[in-house]
Amino acid sequence: MKKMNNKQLTFLMMTLPILALFFCFNTLPLIKGVIYSFTNFRGYGSYDWVGMRNYADLFQDARVGKSYLFTIKLAVVATVVVNVVSLVLALGLNAKIKFKSALRGLYFIPNILGALVVGYIFNYFFTYILPAIAKMLGGSGESMLASTKWAWVAIVIVCAWQSVAMNTIIYISGLQTVPEDVYEAGSIDGATGWAKFKNLTFPLILPFFSINMVLCMKNFLMVFDQIVALTKGGPAQSTESISYLIYNNGMAGGQFGFQSANAVVFFVMIVALSVAQMTITGKKEEQL
Amino acid sequence: MKRKRALSLFLTGMTAVSVLLQGCGTERENSGKIEIELVQYKPEAVEVFEQLEEEFNRTHDNIHLTIESPNDATTILKTRFIREDYPDIIGIGGDINYSYFVDSGILADVSDYEGLKSIKTAYVDILEGLEFVPTEGTYGVPYVANAAGILYNREMFQEHGWEIPETWEELLTLCEDIQAAGIQPFYFGFKDTWTCLAPWNALAVDLAPADVCKQVNRGETTFTDEYREISEKMLELLEYGEAGSFAYGYNDACTAFANGEAAMYTIGSYAVPQIKSVNPDMDIDSFVMPGSDSPDGNVLNSGVDLQFCVTSACENKEAAYEVLDFLLEHENMQAYLDNQNAVPCKDEEFELASMLDGMKDYINEGKMSDYQDHYYPSEMAVDAQIQTFLMNQDVDAFLEKFDKDWQRYNRDIIRMVEDYQKENGTVGKEGGEES
Amino acid sequence: MNKKVKEKVNWPVTILLIAGLVTIVFPLYMTIVIALKQPSEMTNSISGILSLPKSFSLSNFAEAMRVTDFWHSLFNSVLITGITVVISIVIHSMIGYAVGRNKAKSKFYNFVYLYIVSGMFVPFAILMMPLVKQTAQMGIANIVGVIVCYVVFYMPMNLLLYSGYLTNIPMALEEAARVDGASTWRTYWSIIFPIMKPMHATVAVLTALGTWNDVMTPLVIMSGSGMNTLPLAQMTFQTQFGTNYNLAFASYLLALLPILIFYIFCQKQILNGVVNGAVK
Repeated sequence: MKKMNNKQLTFLMMTLPILALFFCFNTLPLIKGVIYSFTNFRGYGSYDWVGMRNYADLFQDARVGKSYLFTIKLAVVATVVVNVVSLVLALGLNAKIKFKSALRGLYFIPNILGALVVGYIFNYFFTYILPAIAKMLGGSGESMLASTKWAWVAIVIVCAWQSVAMNTIIYISGLQTVPEDVYEAGSIDGATGWAKFKNLTFPLILPFFSINMVLCMKNFLMVFDQIVALTKGGPAQSTESISYLIYNNGMAGGQFGFQSANAVVFFVMIVALSVAQMTITGKKEEQL
Repeated sequence: MKRKRALSLFLTGMTAVSVLLQGCGTERENSGKIEIELVQYKPEAVEVFEQLEEEFNRTHDNIHLTIESPNDATTILKTRFIREDYPDIIGIGGDINYSYFVDSGILADVSDYEGLKSIKTAYVDILEGLEFVPTEGTYGVPYVANAAGILYNREMFQEHGWEIPETWEELLTLCEDIQAAGIQPFYFGFKDTWTCLAPWNALAVDLAPADVCKQVNRGETTFTDEYREISEKMLELLEYGEAGSFAYGYNDACTAFANGEAAMYTIGSYAVPQIKSVNPDMDIDSFVMPGSDSPDGNVLNSGVDLQFCVTSACENKEAAYEVLDFLLEHENMQAYLDNQNAVPCKDEEFELASMLDGMKDYINEGKMSDYQDHYYPSEMAVDAQIQTFLMNQDVDAFLEKFDKDWQRYNRDIIRMVEDYQKENGTVGKEGGEES
Repeated sequence: MNKKVKEKVNWPVTILLIAGLVTIVFPLYMTIVIALKQPSEMTNSISGILSLPKSFSLSNFAEAMRVTDFWHSLFNSVLITGITVVISIVIHSMIGYAVGRNKAKSKFYNFVYLYIVSGMFVPFAILMMPLVKQTAQMGIANIVGVIVCYVVFYMPMNLLLYSGYLTNIPMALEEAARVDGASTWRTYWSIIFPIMKPMHATVAVLTALGTWNDVMTPLVIMSGSGMNTLPLAQMTFQTQFGTNYNLAFASYLLALLPILIFYIFCQKQILNGVVNGAVK
């Protein structure tokens, strides 16, 4: 019994100080932020209490509504694209190929660059090179970034270009957990190609799939740097993500109180979405 | 036991690290001098400010001046205000942030500063006009202004014998002529939304009352009435720009203009250094946007680009004034003007950069008016709204939204104005208006 | 594992993968070319953008190093990233262990787990201003505050990774140690911590990449302290009225190198190790 207590005590000693640190630098500021969401605070100087006004405004604000729709659309599409591409890439990089480590190293490079830097590089690409290629092929030669219809696709491409690397790594480590004898058993049963992947490989890497889905979704819902570097919310405010709006109007502008309310709603939404996502993939894992 | 040892080792390590880190910050010489810290928001002017800082410290024994020119200074200033860590002097623009700072009581009244008398009254009035409600006192010393209008390629103009237009009609005719010569009249670079504001502001000073935003706040007029002509003229201008102007940003436009891809560029004098970085030998001049139908109706679009404000937290105002005196000295100001192609706010003869030739008369006469966007709250994103409008080309929808959004984003300010009016009767006309 | 090594190389996949590298190499080529050019060589036409610089000169790199005060900024960046990574590995693995081993049977640890992991979803923008104020009041509006913030920001993600990884490590190992009379603390340091080495590498890379490229946190927390990190110093290239892409790209390439070396160092760990610990 005494030993048990000792063990529990040690675990508690490991947890509590770190928990306190987390509380101080995450929860405490969050609580303060929530409090500010009931004010017309600008970030400095004096402010007044405005009750629920910020929240009431939030649900009537067309610009905020548009940013939610845009962000969700972007996140869903980018998550799907990234996971498909990185799964295929991981399968390729895990196959019996030449130059394996060199290829793996090179494919990881996009992840090393900062999102802002990637954005600036692609800005050039979308503004000059892509339209020129489109023109050669008989297209209109309009820049994707200048079109309210296509700018979001450009952002998806840049987001995907950068995040595929990390997801691929996670998938590769997932694929390596698949023991060889599973395949051997499978090939005796005559499973090949797609069937082999669907019935043998995929179920085994499902935990990695679900962690990738959740992380992707979360990262893309919070997309910020790519927007700053590529479009700054334009053209015609068609690519304003929620984080961009919160930062731009809250910090750079004078709407800190209102955008705090926005951030609170956003936080609740992300948590709800992620919990839902994890429950769904969690259930699937159980079924298999 | 082992646990304790590991823990204490960890703690010692942490302490050592933090001690080490404390030592890494910049050391400040402390030799009994009064320390004055100046933070200014124009990183592009860092070189000239470094010279001035050095010169000041060389000639002053009692005061040690530190000038910082950080990037993204507005964010840095705001975060420092949150921290209640105030510099003694801040160098900022005359825009809505200044209005917020005045309203928050961060800035000190400098109306007792002698040097203020040498500043052109037009600029002091512009600052007054930026206060949400008339506030007793003066809170900034205007240093330099910028001027916006139309930059043009002087060599190209001379080659073809084109004249500087003075009315809207003449401008359109000129554009036709330029097009006929096979040259593109304008380059806009409207992908960056803020560049949409440049022609907008330049037209607005010609066509709308200078204090239109305040009039709206007082409920006397609407933007639908005041901004219609500007909106329509913006659309007319758009015809003469590059195809797909929403694909190209400010930098692209500067590069294109520098390479002679367009004859004119609707932007301010601040763009010249960037243009010259691409084509150092280019001969650039500028003229005032001829938005009006008569030459007398045109006004130069000029606002306070850099002003110095003393913070309320500054402990030694005398010393701060001494710094301001130094900065306002003729040769120091000239050094700044040469470096930044700026327009001086001081009422003295200065040598102006050649690209301001076309605007000189307006500057000397004081026939100018502030940028309208200095009154727009940044979170309303008027720049992006203008961009949207230029793409949709729907004047009515744009103006309607403008009026609606204005009320929402300025709610607190409008209420402040109403309270003020209740207390003080009607607001006397002040600020922002020119003869 | 090595049974099939003699199986022949899958050339079609190899070739496809090499072809796919274009998507990686092309943007990098653009970056390098622009970094080597002079502003006066910049044009808005496609051929002008893709062409090689007229003369090969490293002057942009030298200038970029001067403008960003490269060695100082590099030192600060390395310091912040290094300390953050070390502290993260030590304390995140610790709480990961405590939580991971107990959350199945203890409501408290399950709550701690969910509580910290949900912190991942808090938008930074809402924390920013209160954090600025708080760090200033605590007197850590400097590099210490920045590191503390990072350690907290990456805790949710790292806790998720560590506690997930622990489920792969059989309890039997610890129980054996305990039978030998080792305390939980000692079991952790001598058995669990070394076993989690592959996960340490993953955590190190993820945390390091995030902190290395981050602009916002040092910008708001330690502005005015007179210290710069590389990304902060690089902001010099982006002013509203002018961007020097040539210098900026040169400096991006310079900033890329240290982290690239770090990654090459850790790469084997991440890729090879994840399995070896437990599953087999």
